[in-house]
Amino acid sequence: MCNLPVHVSCRSNAEYMSPSGKVPFVHVGNQVVSELGPIVQFTKAKGHSLSDGLDDVQRAEMKAYMELVNNMLLTAELYIQWCDDTTATEISRPRYSSPYSWPLNQILAYQKQWEVRRKMNAIGWAGKSLEQVYEDVSQCCQALSQRLGTQPYFFNKQPTELDALVFGHLFTILTTRLTSDELGEKIKSYSNLLAFCRRIEQSYFEDSQAGSSSRGYSKGPSLF
Amino acid sequence: MQSMDPLPMHGRDMGVHPDDMIEVQEAEQETKQEVLENKDVVVQHVNIEGLGRTKEDLLGYEISEVFHAKNLVDVMKKSHIARQKLLRLGIFKEVEVVIDTSDGADALPNGLDVTFEVTEMKRLTGSYNTMVGNNEGSMVLGVKLPNVFGRAEKLTFQFSYGTKETSYGLSFFKPQPGNFERNLALNLYKVTGQFPWSSLKETDRGVSTELNFPLWRTNHTLKWEGVWRELGCLARSASFAVREESGHTLKSALSHTMSIDNRNSAIFPKKGALLRINQELAGYTGGDASFLKEDFELQVNRRLVWDSVLSASLWGGCLLPIGGRPSSIADRFYLGGPTSVRGFGMYSIGPQSEGDYLGGEAYWAGGLHLYTPLPFRPGRAGFGDLFRTHFFLNAGNLCNLNYGEGPRAHLQRLAECIRWSYGAGIVLRLGNIARLELNYCIPMGVQSGDRICDGVQFGAGIRFL
Repeated sequence: MCNLPVHVSCRSNAEYMSPSGKVPFVHVGNQVVSELGPIVQFTKAKGHSLSDGLDDVQRAEMKAYMELVNNMLLTAELYIQWCDDTTATEISRPRYSSPYSWPLNQILAYQKQWEVRRKMNAIGWAGKSLEQVYEDVSQCCQALSQRLGTQPYFFNKQPTELDALVFGHLFTILTTRLTSDELGEKIKSYSNLLAFCRRIEQSYFEDSQAGSSSRGYSKGPSLF
Repeated sequence: MQSMDPLPMHGRDMGVHPDDMIEVQEAEQETKQEVLENKDVVVQHVNIEGLGRTKEDLLGYEISEVFHAKNLVDVMKKSHIARQKLLRLGIFKEVEVVIDTSDGADALPNGLDVTFEVTEMKRLTGSYNTMVGNNEGSMVLGVKLPNVFGRAEKLTFQFSYGTKETSYGLSFFKPQPGNFERNLALNLYKVTGQFPWSSLKETDRGVSTELNFPLWRTNHTLKWEGVWRELGCLARSASFAVREESGHTLKSALSHTMSIDNRNSAIFPKKGALLRINQELAGYTGGDASFLKEDFELQVNRRLVWDSVLSASLWGGCLLPIGGRPSSIADRFYLGGPTSVRGFGMYSIGPQSEGDYLGGEAYWAGGLHLYTPLPFRPGRAGFGDLFRTHFFLNAGNLCNLNYGEGPRAHLQRLAECIRWSYGAGIVLRLGNIARLELNYCIPMGVQSGDRICDGVQFGAGIRFL
């Protein structure tokens, strides 16, 4: 969105390569910066920012919504992938263990599962049922949908970090195969969010058809 | 002397005497003070006393040679050898030999009884040490069970708990009864290592089984090892090349080592040679590391005038990745340092990226040493013998090979940009396995990227070039 040249590279050990243990991270020259917050700060220090046009009130509001997305959507995604037994067995564990050979693949997949479940316990989500989680996601989407309204982006004409974050999560939820389509359907029920995702996908990810340099992989998922 | 009277068989009698079956014999022995030297004797009984949990059949092989002795001097020699054999089993604390003339109803006039009085090791021994190293302290707990099931099996467990990392190892050793050199070892371990020259830290959790056996004059080892390796960056400033190697890999490898060693000692050998060839094939028994690795070590020693020894050594190796995957930093070779090419920093020769040394897929290293006793020989035949002065010339090269080219190109690559160094220093022997060195080195042939350590360099270790 900042119009910076970027090359996306998929590695099976990306999680371990990152200095903080979390993806995404960027490698620029000699530096490696991981997670959205630090990356945004890093690009800002280099003179590129999406939220320059916002005043302090709006910036605070943006931060609040980003926190909401992180606390709700991210946690819900982790819950559904790892705490729901069917999804974990059919989708998450096979996918997580695919780059490794036996028995390492089993060990690592179970280790990840225990780690996520422990985290869920710590924040109190362990007691929730799948239905409750879907409800939470729905409420979060409702808040986002209300804020978006009929505008093209959350803060009117220009996309900001919040747009990037929301797009990232919603796009992933809509294009990831899960055991049931319920989550995707819940998001699709908010038509302005769906249109928002499509709009961003069209503007930023489909303009370079030949080469797909902004994607980095030959065929990726699509909303269409 | 107490012995059980065996069945009257000629030759292979063995009386084995467990502790709780002590027979008190009315001792009315006439000491026959005959001069038995050079007189033909027959060994009638060979007894072992003091056995508790050790099984008898294990010991028969070790002492059977004694029966074939023909005269007294021979009996003494063979008993001494048998005593050494019993001690090397590692299950006895002490073995004493008593040779006496035969007694009893079937005693021949020239018959002898040989008795080995043994003291078994305790069932369980423990040790506790604390170690302080580079900014780290740790406590090490060791537990050893010698002779677990009675046939010289040994179980050891070592656990090290430190401020930075924990490691442990469990190992089980079983020799073949009668053939101690043929043995089987099973190991289970977790070790952590930190390699500041590559900004890398590695945690290995593995299991290995190893079979050792002698074949004619050579010793062979066949080993299968399965290791789960976890690599990580040691510091935030690690180069991206090392960061790319972070993560988990599984290596399942079969390896074979052949070694011939006829040196008279492992540290400061005066004569003899050592040849060790090792190959390792990974990937065909599972795991995701896939390569063929060959390396060899050769050392030749020769005594010169005035107690000085000339020693030449040559090391080399190559790593061939199989299946198109690039090699992992944990499998590559490293060169440089006080234990290999002296005058350079530890493992600081060869391909590197932003100061982190990545290792190479092929290397060779050679050394020429002249060892002399300390000048003026202080402390001769005592402490002074642990020291030597040495003059050395070391050379070596480490690089990555492009396997598409032919062997000619490989040799050419290894022959250009040779690093070498020369110097002199003092070496101290520690026990029978390790040595300390303090050298003054002058490195030459330094390529850009290598880190040198010219001037005084200190080294401690087990295996030196």
